[in-house]
Amino acid sequence: MEQLFQTIYSGILYGSVYGLMALGLTLIWGSLRMLNLAHGSLYLVGGYLAWTIIDQLHLPLVLAFLLAVAGAALVGLIMQVVLINPLLGKPGWDNASLIATVGASIVLESAALLIYGPQVKQMPTVVEGQFKIGTVLISNQALLVIATAVLFLILMSLFLRISRHGLAIRAISQDMDAARLAGVPARTAFLIVMCISAALAGLAGVLLSSIFYLAPTSGFVPMVKALVVTIFGGLGSVKGTIWAAYTIGLLEAALQVYLGASWALPGLFLFMIVMLTVRPNGLFGLGEARRL
Amino acid sequence: MIQDQRLSQQEATATLPRLQRSAIPWANPNWLVIGVVVVLALLLPWVTLRLAGGRFITHLIITFFVWGIVTQCWNLIMGVSGIYSFGQMALYAVGGWTTGILALHFGWNPLISIWLAPIAAAIAALIIGLPTLRLRGVYVVLLTLAFHELLRNYVVNGPTIISGGGYGLRDVPKLGFDQFGGGWEILLYYYFGLTLFGIATYAIWRILHSPIGLAFRALRDSEDYAVSRGVDRFRFKLFLFAFSAFFTGLAGGFMTHYQGAASPSLLSFGVIINLLAMIVLGGWGTFWGPIVGTAILTVLPEVLRSAEAYRNLTLGIVLALIAVLAPRGLVPLLAQAVRNLRQRLRKPEAPR
Repeated sequence: MEQLFQTIYSGILYGSVYGLMALGLTLIWGSLRMLNLAHGSLYLVGGYLAWTIIDQLHLPLVLAFLLAVAGAALVGLIMQVVLINPLLGKPGWDNASLIATVGASIVLESAALLIYGPQVKQMPTVVEGQFKIGTVLISNQALLVIATAVLFLILMSLFLRISRHGLAIRAISQDMDAARLAGVPARTAFLIVMCISAALAGLAGVLLSSIFYLAPTSGFVPMVKALVVTIFGGLGSVKGTIWAAYTIGLLEAALQVYLGASWALPGLFLFMIVMLTVRPNGLFGLGEARRL
Repeated sequence: MIQDQRLSQQEATATLPRLQRSAIPWANPNWLVIGVVVVLALLLPWVTLRLAGGRFITHLIITFFVWGIVTQCWNLIMGVSGIYSFGQMALYAVGGWTTGILALHFGWNPLISIWLAPIAAAIAALIIGLPTLRLRGVYVVLLTLAFHELLRNYVVNGPTIISGGGYGLRDVPKLGFDQFGGGWEILLYYYFGLTLFGIATYAIWRILHSPIGLAFRALRDSEDYAVSRGVDRFRFKLFLFAFSAFFTGLAGGFMTHYQGAASPSLLSFGVIINLLAMIVLGGWGTFWGPIVGTAILTVLPEVLRSAEAYRNLTLGIVLALIAVLAPRGLVPLLAQAVRNLRQRLRKPEAPR
């Protein structure tokens, strides 16, 4: 019973943060048709900015949170303007965009290594205190993380459903040509998508590194897990992504609790391999036609 | 599968008129150039070993041979046939560990066990390829990365015979060239590496300039059209995957015995990025691209050793610049420049 409760608690925690990461990836894929391999580095940007502001500059928490997310969005904006925009509409888009994002991720990661060094950084806890349910230890920090992540997931779906820009993004991801003919400015939409995606990655960085530690290489594993989530949910599908995030989060937690921590990642990958062989279009199998 | 290919080729030549020699430039290669290159390659170590730090330079050339084989094979997968596989280092590791374990723990003669490395890698490629190659694009990236991470996890945490307690294989028997004396050892390794590199390069060149190579380029450029003209997508991809794994595994096996070790750090993401940079820098999808790229990125880090800390930063910037400014890589860029220059030189003569 306690094991089950522990699984659910960790699963929801992981799932919320993976949801944020994966939503960013899926938005980019849906609209730009680009696999953003720099997503993990944007996660790092958020984490390190927050650490710098809280631990080094001793500024208030809310400010750190906002600045870190804004900083990640800014890096995303620069990436889009400098690297991705020049490639738009050119032949060999698949190759070039993949390489460009790999390049960006190496630059960001090695910059983090040069500035902060290879030592592990630990974010100070924001809210003190913890309580016990049975033998399961629940910290207020984790609850705050879950609440923030869920809040932003809801905000994002509302944004995509209600706001003008959200509708533009969805229109573009469903049919680029038709959307442009109807007067949707594609480049502006791409820019907004990139900023939002980077901000979400940065947010995930702030939240997750307040529970775990932060190192120049720690963006890779969250990105790979986010990739698993996006593919599991069917690339480009927001609803599928959020469902998949919690499913994968619970699965990982279950593997950790019942089989041991070293099984979490290989277990996920084995699951992934089986899943892709059986259902190549993801959990919701939206295929190419219905996305977002 | 190869048998089928040969059969259909024979049928084709039986029914169709022979191609004109000028339409297949690869059928009459420039033997003079090839001969000169081979002789130079054979003589090279005698020169480099006389230089100051000659052993290190020769060692660099041997590593160039190994990574040159791997990048050429990966380019065949990524660049020529458009399969975004990130599993190449996993196949390399399968080759390296197979022969390493056989020699280290089972007492096989390395000169025999090394030939099992390519076979094991090709079998691994078939296992990875069966589920992977039915998918496309991003799904292939993720699935091959998944296999890579599974293997890395196994190599780090698996049974001691494989993981060596996290250090990988150490004190693997070498190829036994030291019995000829210290000076001969590195020379023989050089020639062994050169032979492997030469065979792999020739095989890849032959594949590229064959109906198989043509089919791959057709699949990459317009999959639907190629399929409608009767190209069996899955079989061709699986064949290419196993073919490239064969030589990659051989390279892995050679490197394991040359260095006498195989470390799990071979499977770190940095190695993949480095190889990818070699291919992209040279020009992917081209024959010369990976060779040139590997040469540049093997030599450059040694020249810039003082700037070691900035190595990755520079690599990232170079990758991003290449993607934006010359997405096709250096080799096509240079070829274009040479062609333009020739045209400009010829033009003034035209009015006469």
